[in-house]
Parts: sequence; structure tokens; C-alpha cells
Amino acid sequence: MTSLGAASGGGGPQNVFMDQFSLEARTQRVWDLNHAVWFTLMGLGGGVFLAGRILNLTEGLGSVLGIPTVDVVSFVAIAAGGAILVADLGRPLQFWRAFVNIRTSWISWGAWSDLIFLVVAGLLVLPALSLGGSAPFEGLGWDPHGTDGAGLALEIVAGVAAVVVMTYAGAVLARPRAIPYWNSPAVPLQFLLSSSAMSVAVVLFIEVAAGEPVSAGQMVLLGLLCSGLLVAVVVHLVTDVTAPGKAESLDRLLRGRYRVRFVWLVLVDGTALPAVLAFVGAAASGARDVLAVVCCGLLLVGGFWLRLLTLRVGIFPPVHIPSAAGR
Amino acid sequence: MTRWGMVIDAARCVGCQACTVACKTENQSPLDAWYAPVLEWESGEFPDATLNYLPVLCNHCEDAPCVTACPSGALTRRDDGIVMADEDVCIGSRACMTACPYGALHFFEDRGTVAVDAAPAGPEQSVPERYAHQRHVRGAVSKCTYCAHKIDFGIENGLEVGIHPLATPACVVTCPAECRIFGDLDDPDSNVSRYLAERGPSEVLRPDAETLPSTQYVGLP
Repeated sequence: MTSLGAASGGGGPQNVFMDQFSLEARTQRVWDLNHAVWFTLMGLGGGVFLAGRILNLTEGLGSVLGIPTVDVVSFVAIAAGGAILVADLGRPLQFWRAFVNIRTSWISWGAWSDLIFLVVAGLLVLPALSLGGSAPFEGLGWDPHGTDGAGLALEIVAGVAAVVVMTYAGAVLARPRAIPYWNSPAVPLQFLLSSSAMSVAVVLFIEVAAGEPVSAGQMVLLGLLCSGLLVAVVVHLVTDVTAPGKAESLDRLLRGRYRVRFVWLVLVDGTALPAVLAFVGAAASGARDVLAVVCCGLLLVGGFWLRLLTLRVGIFPPVHIPSAAGR
Repeated sequence: MTRWGMVIDAARCVGCQACTVACKTENQSPLDAWYAPVLEWESGEFPDATLNYLPVLCNHCEDAPCVTACPSGALTRRDDGIVMADEDVCIGSRACMTACPYGALHFFEDRGTVAVDAAPAGPEQSVPERYAHQRHVRGAVSKCTYCAHKIDFGIENGLEVGIHPLATPACVVTCPAECRIFGDLDDPDSNVSRYLAERGPSEVLRPDAETLPSTQYVGLP
């Protein structure tokens, strides 16, 4: 076969053009940096909201205008992710149409879950909003920390929406069969675990910044999430390794142009090392806060590169595999 | 029920790319977009080396992953099986492009390098480029429609679809090797069904994707 197109891995105009006339595997080039940032922010936003509540850390870690810092980080991340998504559309002013095809499109599911999360979680914390020393929404009748019935109901709805927000980017990639590397439940699982680990680490960072001690249990949770992520990534790397399309993706990740970034930034520094540091931190109380901060930095970098490299190794296999005589 | 489909006899293709150009002329597709290219690859070694050709286009799948992935509902499958892209409804998410195993969807990127609305065309903007901008929506996705406008015209005017040149996709009409046959896959007396009965069974591209394509092949290398 000729060596044009995806095999070269190049992204120049000539390759984009020649890809359309070559039988070779073809690299997807439509989703890249913007989508990686969007995926990361969405995972982080939904995850920080959930982690703050699961770890019972919404109170006592500071606030912005009365709203817990943890929730503010969550809202900012999701709003920024949504803004990047809209800006990346070919026709941003038509963004509202993304809500239409809820029947089959994961992007529509994501759009709805983003909206529901922002509205419901926003409503949940609204009574805590403090402007100029007064709390204008204090009388809304529910507790922003979800300790009463109405507050708990809002918290549950927001929590479910947050889980969808954390997961749907992976589902968008995993559902179609076009790109074998993406077409696996391992991809949404990786994104969910990565989002969870990043989010717990960010909440622990906020805890350290607020002068509160990180507990051994929190570090164990972080270590388990990192370990789960490592297993999910490795299992995906060792299954269906010869499938057309996926073989090229794996080659690029493990032996080709992304090898250094994938092995070091994602596998080692972004997953395995934080897992080790988290377990060490659980045992060593004196170094726990420092290790939590280090883990946070490593996981954020690793989570972003996991998503970016997943997008960049999205390779369509050839539309036809010629018989032996035609090769 | 009518189900329009195309049979491509790859063994007949001579790689002239006339279909590619006819499609571009008919549909005035954006400059980077080729709805019906002919793929090429080499096989064998000198002195027995060969160039092989494979004409491709939208497969108009019965279980179309582009339709499933599209968040805006811009991509739809008509009752006659043709998958259409409504560029006015498209938001440019490009989810369809990552979902299609065949690379059949094309994003009309606004690169901002030409005065697209300026008339008449100047040296900074070619005539085809101006036509593309007039016919297609910037920031939206477009695709092969089996020349649905010609099919609809043929039906409205009592012409035989797949036979009369005004009621047949441009790539089929122009193919000098007659390697493309278009017609109703559900009609056992149609030209495609008769061709398949004679030359079949047919194959599809990327069978692993399980999309049930309406574009089928015989004579694949």
C-alpha cells in the first residue's frame, strides 16, 4: 500500500486532502484540543460537586459570596466547559439545537445534563448567596447543604446530572463503531474514574488551602480511584490489540509519536504515581497535605492528556481490507 | 416500500475519477469536500504491481450512526432510505464525522480567507468556491445525498429513477465504465436487484460497523 494519510500521522493540509483518496487508516481530525479541555472541565465540574458532598466538605472550606468554594469551582468549571463547547461549534449561535435529539445523541444528553446541573445545583446553593452582607434568597425554604427534604431532593437531582456530566463525553466517543479505539466501555469508564480522581484531588487541594487537615481515609479513596483508573487504562491497552484501527491507535500511543506523553504524563505521572503517593500519604500523616497537593497537580495534567491523546489516536480503519491478492 | 441503493462493481472501475468530478460539479461541494472519491492503492511488486480502485460515497445506512450521533436532528433518514443533512439545522458539532465509519460527512469550515459574500468573484475567490458558499452553509456539515434532488425531480416528472440521466445520481450517469448501478433495492425487478442477482452476492464496506449500508459492492479486490 502507499504510505499516504494516517499512517504518517501528519495533520497538514496535504494529508487531509490525500486521506480522502487513500484506502489507508484515517486519523480523525475534527476533535482536538478544545474538546480535550471541554471534556476535562466537564468531568472536573461534575466531580467536584459530587466529591464535596460525598466527602462532606462543602462547609468549612471557605466560600465566595456565601457559596461554598467547592461548589463555585464546580460551577465555574462546567460553565467554562460549556462555553468552550459552544465556541467550538461550527455555528455557535445555533447551540440550542444541541438539546433536540435526546432520543439517541449523547451530546444532547450532555447538553441537558449540563443545563439541569447548573440550574438545579444553582438553585440548591442560592439560599447561601450573600450580597453586601445580606442573603436575599435565604427565605427560599431549603438548606443549601441538603439537610432538609427540599434541599436533599435538589441535591439528588443535581448529583445525578453531575454523574451524567462526568460520563457523557466518554459515551459520545464510545457509542459509534467507527473508531475501534473509542468503541469500548473502557473509554467512558476511564473518563469517569479520571474525573473522580481529579475531583477528589481538587477538593483535597481546597481543603489544604483552607488550612484543614487531609484525612487518611480521603487519601485512601484517592489512591483507590487512581488505581482503578490505571487498571481501566491498562485493560484497554491489552484488549483487541490487533483489531484494525485500534492496532494503529495503540502503535501511536505506545511506540509512536505519543509514546513519551502517554507513558509519562498519563500512565506514570498522571495515574500510577498519584496512586502510590496517595497510599503513602494515607500512612504518613506528616506529609499528607503536601502529597495531596502534588497528587492534584499530577492528576489534572494526566487527566487532560488522557483525554487529548484519546482524541488524537482516534483512527478509522480502512473502509475495506483487500484480500491477499489485492494487497 | 422503496429503498434507494447503489451497487458498485469495483472490478469495473478504471480509476478515472470522473464520478468524483461529476459529483463536485453537480453538488458544488465545498473545496475540501469530496463526496464521491475513488480510493487508490497499490498491490503486488514489480513487474506484477497493480493499482486498485475503490469508489466510495455515503453508504446511506439503514442504521446510520451519523443520524444517531447528531444532536440537532440535522441528519435524518428519509422513508426511501436516503440520509439527508439539513445544513440550516446543523450546529457544526461534527459528532457525525466521528461516528461515520466511511468518512462520508464533510465540515464546511469558514477559514475567513476569502471574501465569501463579495460579488463578483475576484482573484481571491475562485468561481467554484463562490458557488460552494452560495449553496452550502458555513460551519455546517454536508454530504452525498444520492443526488436526492435529481431523484425527486425524476419522480415528480415521471422519469425512471436510475435509468434516466435527469433522475439518476451524477456519479452514476457519468461513469464511463458503468460500474455504478442505482435503483430500488426492495424491488426485485429493479436494475440493482437484477445486477445483484447476476453478479452477487454483494459485500459492504466496514461490515464490522453493522450499519446496514444501501451502497453495496461486487467485485471487491
